[in-house]
Amino acid sequence: MDTVIIDGLSFMMPLLCIAVGGIYSERSGVTNLALEGLLGAGAFVGALFVAFFGKLFPETSSAPMYFAMAASVVGGAVYAMLHGLLCVKFRANQVISGVVINILAVALTTFLTREINSGVFQAPSDKIQLGVSPRFDVPGLSKIPVLGAVFKSVYPFQVVILVVIIIAWYALYRTRFGMRLRACGDNPHAVDAAGINVQRTRFLAVMISGALSGLGGISFAYSFSANFSASIYVGAGYLAIAALIFGNWKIVPTVGACLLFGLARSGGYKLVQLLALPSSYSDLIMILPYVVTLLLLIFFSGTNRAPRALGEIYDKGKR
Amino acid sequence: MENIVEMRGVTKRFPGVVANDDISLKIRRGEIFALLGENGAGKSTLMSMLFGLYEPDEGEIFIRGERVRITSPTFAAGLSIGMVHQHFRLVENFTIAENIVLGAEPVRRKLGFLPYVDMRAAGAKIAELSRRYGLEVEPEAVIEDVGISIRQRVEILKMLYREAEILIFDEPTAMLAPQEIEYLLQILKNLRESGKTVILITHKLEEIKKTADRCGILSRGKLVGVYDVAETSTDEMASLMVGRELAGEAAPEEHEFGAEVLRVEKLDVIRDRMKKVDGVSFSVREGEIFAVAGVDGNGQTELTDAIAGLLRSSGGAVTLGGEDLTRADVRERMEKGISYVPEDRHGVGLLLDFTLGDNLTMRRYYEEPFSRRGIRDERAIAEYADRLIERYDIRSGRGYSTVVRSMSGGNQQKAIVAREIELDSRLLIFVQPTRGLDIGATRAIHEHILNQRAAGKAILLVSLELEEILALADTIGVMYGGRMNRVAAARELSIDEVGAYMTGVRQ
Amino acid sequence: MKKRSRVTRLLVRAFGDERRQAFTVPVFAVVMSLAAAAILLLAIGKNPVAAFRALLSGAGFLPKGSYSSGKGIFTDLMTTLSSLTPMIFAALAVTVAFKAGLFNIGVSGQMLFAGFLATVLVGYSALPGYIARPLVILIGIAAGAIAGGVIGLLKYRFNINEVVSSIMINYIFQYVIGFFILTKFVDPVTRHSKAIVKAARLVPSGVQIGRYKTDFPVIVVLAVAASFALKFFLDRTRAGFELRAVGAHPKAAQYAGVKVGRNIVLAMTLSGALAGLAGVAYYLGYYDSITPKALSSVGFDAIAVSLLGNSNPIGGLFASILVTAVDRGSTYMSSAMNVQREISQVITGLILLFSACGAFIRHLVNRAREEDK
Repeated sequence: MDTVIIDGLSFMMPLLCIAVGGIYSERSGVTNLALEGLLGAGAFVGALFVAFFGKLFPETSSAPMYFAMAASVVGGAVYAMLHGLLCVKFRANQVISGVVINILAVALTTFLTREINSGVFQAPSDKIQLGVSPRFDVPGLSKIPVLGAVFKSVYPFQVVILVVIIIAWYALYRTRFGMRLRACGDNPHAVDAAGINVQRTRFLAVMISGALSGLGGISFAYSFSANFSASIYVGAGYLAIAALIFGNWKIVPTVGACLLFGLARSGGYKLVQLLALPSSYSDLIMILPYVVTLLLLIFFSGTNRAPRALGEIYDKGKR
Repeated sequence: MENIVEMRGVTKRFPGVVANDDISLKIRRGEIFALLGENGAGKSTLMSMLFGLYEPDEGEIFIRGERVRITSPTFAAGLSIGMVHQHFRLVENFTIAENIVLGAEPVRRKLGFLPYVDMRAAGAKIAELSRRYGLEVEPEAVIEDVGISIRQRVEILKMLYREAEILIFDEPTAMLAPQEIEYLLQILKNLRESGKTVILITHKLEEIKKTADRCGILSRGKLVGVYDVAETSTDEMASLMVGRELAGEAAPEEHEFGAEVLRVEKLDVIRDRMKKVDGVSFSVREGEIFAVAGVDGNGQTELTDAIAGLLRSSGGAVTLGGEDLTRADVRERMEKGISYVPEDRHGVGLLLDFTLGDNLTMRRYYEEPFSRRGIRDERAIAEYADRLIERYDIRSGRGYSTVVRSMSGGNQQKAIVAREIELDSRLLIFVQPTRGLDIGATRAIHEHILNQRAAGKAILLVSLELEEILALADTIGVMYGGRMNRVAAARELSIDEVGAYMTGVRQ
Repeated sequence: MKKRSRVTRLLVRAFGDERRQAFTVPVFAVVMSLAAAAILLLAIGKNPVAAFRALLSGAGFLPKGSYSSGKGIFTDLMTTLSSLTPMIFAALAVTVAFKAGLFNIGVSGQMLFAGFLATVLVGYSALPGYIARPLVILIGIAAGAIAGGVIGLLKYRFNINEVVSSIMINYIFQYVIGFFILTKFVDPVTRHSKAIVKAARLVPSGVQIGRYKTDFPVIVVLAVAASFALKFFLDRTRAGFELRAVGAHPKAAQYAGVKVGRNIVLAMTLSGALAGLAGVAYYLGYYDSITPKALSSVGFDAIAVSLLGNSNPIGGLFASILVTAVDRGSTYMSSAMNVQREISQVITGLILLFSACGAFIRHLVNRAREEDK
């Protein structure tokens, strides 16, 4: 039982981080299928930091990991500017832009990883080694039966993400910026009429979504894969999209969706193990999130509503 | 009295038209100034320049005596100019209070550092404003749950919240029910009492008479003059507005009607969970023009959409020549003899990005000669289109291969009318067939309608222009709140009576 | 009116009117992306001209310096055509959906579904080639049509956005099919599905033609024919007219008597069928096995390829050739120029990126033309 909760949560938090990034973008009215690319591009920049400067730190220090997280946030945000530029400034179709951004992210990061490994480090490889982040138990709380597992073997990034999500929630629902952002996704004309720059707000929202995706991406790199390589692109970005749709584009329900997806995944693995089935059976568990989201859409299509102006190109001149 | 707004020689051109031609105008502080004119006379353009949506090509604008270049709505807001547009700009999933403060949010800091929007403070200010001006709203209600009248109050509160001094209203009563109009006019007066300057764009004379102090009349982009409302009669204003005497076009001569063609019985239509058409019954006979009068949004569009088969009715029956068509789809109704010139030309009546040829055949594209065994016959389409283009004088750059989007509004409408007339249907439905068209195109379309009557067709005409209805109708039905309030022969109804039924004064 | 520099005016004139832009704008996007790729190559110290030549050589459009026995420019070209076939079909799949106002980003999933069914039903059978190959094609069409049609139905019946349902269904296919391959059809050495029998493979390999031993992708003829057929369907048939009307102006289409819902399902079914063809041409043609738990990138590339081809079936044909050539030429270029193979994907990515900006270029040009009038 403990491992189910521990693994479930360590998968859930990065996923949630990416999903909240998606919520920022989509609530501002910009469809974001680029999450997959954003999380990879962000993680790549973080890994790059480790590759270049990791040696400067003592071997046991976890400082490079925190620097890598910061670098991923910046990297994700910068790469997201491309999506912002295409969707907000260049009026590209947002779905197409998202797809293209993903294709380009995979191509660029794998190309640069190889190029830098062989060119700079003279070590041809398609990976950048990162290692697995250390874990810790919260003293006291982790001793509670059953629920104590929540506080056991915690990755530091889970704590970081928790804090970030709380801030993201507060910013979206309580601050002026968040209020304007949400208004942009519902009726950009109203926002414009109120003297607010719709395009800038949306651009910022897309950048934030890149920053959060980058943080989620590097967290995956530091836990599940222990390196940066093309294997980071396994669809977490699309899973995050499923989660935020399941959560009806709201942060709190999306937390529930991510938790469900995370626990279903770890629980499924555990079940396959307990029943002594071949490991490929766990693949069947992987479809669970997609099936439940689809069922939700079929049966609750009335209550599940995307932001009204989602995907709409805002043209100031057109009234 | 001090002039708060002054325009000198303002001119604005759009491709092909001069929307405002050398207009000079002074508006005084604390008055209600009405801007009167027909559709397309240039009222909205003129005020859009005051609000910063456009900049004038020539001329100068002075606010409180200072020359200004109003480059954006934000800049206009800085000069305390506010505007309520015809189409409201509200965030549907926000509360009323959130909508009001959007863009001017009161930001406080929690614990000295955490910024947040102080909705409580905003609520207090909104409550105070709504008390002062008599604008009742529930600040916590979400916009998507409230009706048009409330939404308009929210728009007004938005301006007041920003302490606007010059308030522009663009056709504020177009979508309102009579009691709501009374309520709004009272609010305009309240605003004047507290020193605000109100500019009212309208083409309704009654409203001007009731509320305004002075009235500027625009006709075809030019300012005819500015008049004291108290000293000018509505008849005078009307003739100045149309630029010609309203010599009531002679009431149509009496003539015999043939057999009943369309029969509508107790028709109900529900849209957006609201009963838009409520138990409407009437019939149209051969050689009869049955005109439906009413203020916009009283169920006319839904009624005709339901007759043409675009909307499903929830109750009642539609029969054509005795045949029940209540369950038939659009195409079947067309084949049985219903032509339809819909209200929304661009969205419904035309395939805008398709060619004129495609559009002239879009109701019959599937049958011979336009399609044979599933293959379209381009030549047959072109030949047919060329015939209609000539017969109906449809002007376009490249003949039948012109993309319709690039054509003028008048020629687009001619194309629709041509297509529908050529279906040779027993019943022709025209909804606002001349809206936004110039005089020439309007006259041509009226002629077509009269010719069709002469040919013994049954005609159902919906218009918002009383002038048009009185000029064409044999029988008038007045719709109000989804009901057909009154049906009578045109000659039995005076314009005042129609107005009274239309506004729900009489039921 | 704003004063414009002579260069801008020339450029605006060069783009031409709306009709000509259908051609000039994509070409401009390609030129821009090649320029960007050239800069990238220069930055890593390579000669871009030599690199592009190597790219074309690798794809079989230009001769290489030397060939191993049995190989030649002809065999390279054949391999490129074999790889081109699924891309053409996939781009057509995207195009037909797009014409009906829909995004089929489920092409990769539909490809996998069709490829898997054909592999399982025919790929391991003992049927002779003249039965097996047509059967593979038919199964591909049917399976794809079903997979696409479901997405159309979900949109029509439950109003579920097709992009969203496609994402979900992509993953469901990916994992479920991965599961079956790994438990039932896996080749223990390659960890892919077991290779299909030769008779079922749409691209016969090792065919002796003259002195060459080559892949022989006759199926590319079908793909090219499908492009022209789709062009004819959209432009000249009644059903194609209905589909375009629904895509461009759904309300007006309803008014014209077109059944909007039925056309949405039809378009997605057609799109799925084409994706299914792409799937069999990919998994039972270009390859002869399926990698479990992975979607092909073809279906995603096809979205941008279709766009680059201006959502026109014939344009898509040319765009497919371009993108496939870059991909196929990359191995040779990487060895000849000593750059990483992945640079070809970067070049492809750049082409797609610039093609996504096409609407903006068009907008700028038309605005400039408008003002110059």
